[in-house]
Order: sequence, then structure tokens, then C-alpha cells
Amino acid sequence: MASTVIGAGITIEGEVTSDEDVVVSGTLRGKLVAKDSVTVEHGGVVEADINAGPVAVAGSVTGNISSNDRVDLQNGAKVVGNVKATRITIADGAQFKGNVDMDV
Amino acid sequence: MASGAREAVIGRTTRVRGRVTGDGDLLIEGNVEGDITVRGDLTIAEGGRATSTVEAGAVTLRGELDGDVTASGVVRIEAGARVRGDMQAQSVSLEEGAEFVGRLDAAFELPPELGGAGETRGRRR
Repeated sequence: MASTVIGAGITIEGEVTSDEDVVVSGTLRGKLVAKDSVTVEHGGVVEADINAGPVAVAGSVTGNISSNDRVDLQNGAKVVGNVKATRITIADGAQFKGNVDMDV
Repeated sequence: MASGAREAVIGRTTRVRGRVTGDGDLLIEGNVEGDITVRGDLTIAEGGRATSTVEAGAVTLRGELDGDVTASGVVRIEAGARVRGDMQAQSVSLEEGAEFVGRLDAAFELPPELGGAGETRGRRR
């Protein structure tokens, strides 16, 4: 079980920081900083810049994503913002508008 | 899946600065600074800490809370909890070993020797 879960019925407006992994199934507006992985599940809405380890998105993200690991935009993801990571995948069925910076 | 439930968990190393709202339950093991309004139940676990005005269903406190609570259900202040704020709830229980500074506003039953005939609405400081 993930250490921090923002459930489907929950909205957080503000800043979330964590040393562990964060799963968003609800709504987060503000800022998200995690040392470990961030997962935005299908139905999850993030209107925030994300700064984290591995990031997996199946929901909606409006904001810039910066990862020190990989970013996976999965089928059903909708991302508007820039993505900065060492490895990036954009699955068939993912919507993405923004720039990619793979830091080469 | 762990996140399938309409529940939110603020993990041990997680810090939230801002407002938390919703219709699910909320479990705080970490740190929340900001108002909490949930239709479900709020639990502050041992080691958890909130500086918040709380509106919730049932509220169970085992950690630290600084702020007023309005609960539609019961408020339990359990052993080890440190609570500072006014509690307004259907009923409030205060366990031995809990620290509490504030006002209780809840229905309680007065023992017959105090002239209480059943449930009254009372305030205790």
C-alpha cells in the first residue's frame, strides 16, 4: 500500500511534500514534491507542478513534471505541461501537449 | 487496489500545507497544516499531526491536533493524543492518558446524583 493516497473523493489545495510514494486518485491543486514515485491514477486530477522520482500518469496532469528517474504517460493520460526526465514513455492513447527535456 | 477506496492517507513522511476537502475518509499519519473538511471520518494516527480547523464525520485522535473540531459523529480523544481546541460533536470521549485543552460541546448524560434526567446538552470547560 502506498504511503500517501489522495483518494477519489478528496481534494487537496496546497502543497504536498513526501519522502515516500504518493498516489493521486482524487484532485490535487498546488504543488507536489515526492522523493519516491508519484502515480496519478485514472480519474486523478493534478493541477500542479510535480517534482518526484518515477512518475506514472494515467489521469490528468496540468503542470510541469520533473523526475530524476522516468516518466510514463500511460493510455488515458492527459498531460499539459513540460516533462523533464531521463527516460520518458508516451503510450498509445495518451494525450500530451508540452515540451520534453531528456537532459542529454 | 489500495487506492480504489474513497479514502485518503497522508503518510508518515508526507506534509500537506493547504486545504483538504472531500467526501471520503482521511487518515493522517504525517503532517497537515490547513483546514480539513471531509464528509467521512478523520483519524489522526499516533505520530500524526494536524494544525487545522476540522469538519468531519467521526473523529478519532491518537496524535496531535491544534484546532477546533466540528463533527457530525463522535469524537474520540484516545490515549497519547495531544489536542488543543474546541470540540463540537454528538459525543466526545476522552481516554485516560490523553492531553486535552479546550471546550467540549456535546450531549452527555449526567449521573442521577447531579440531577440529570437523561440526556442534556452541556458545556464543560
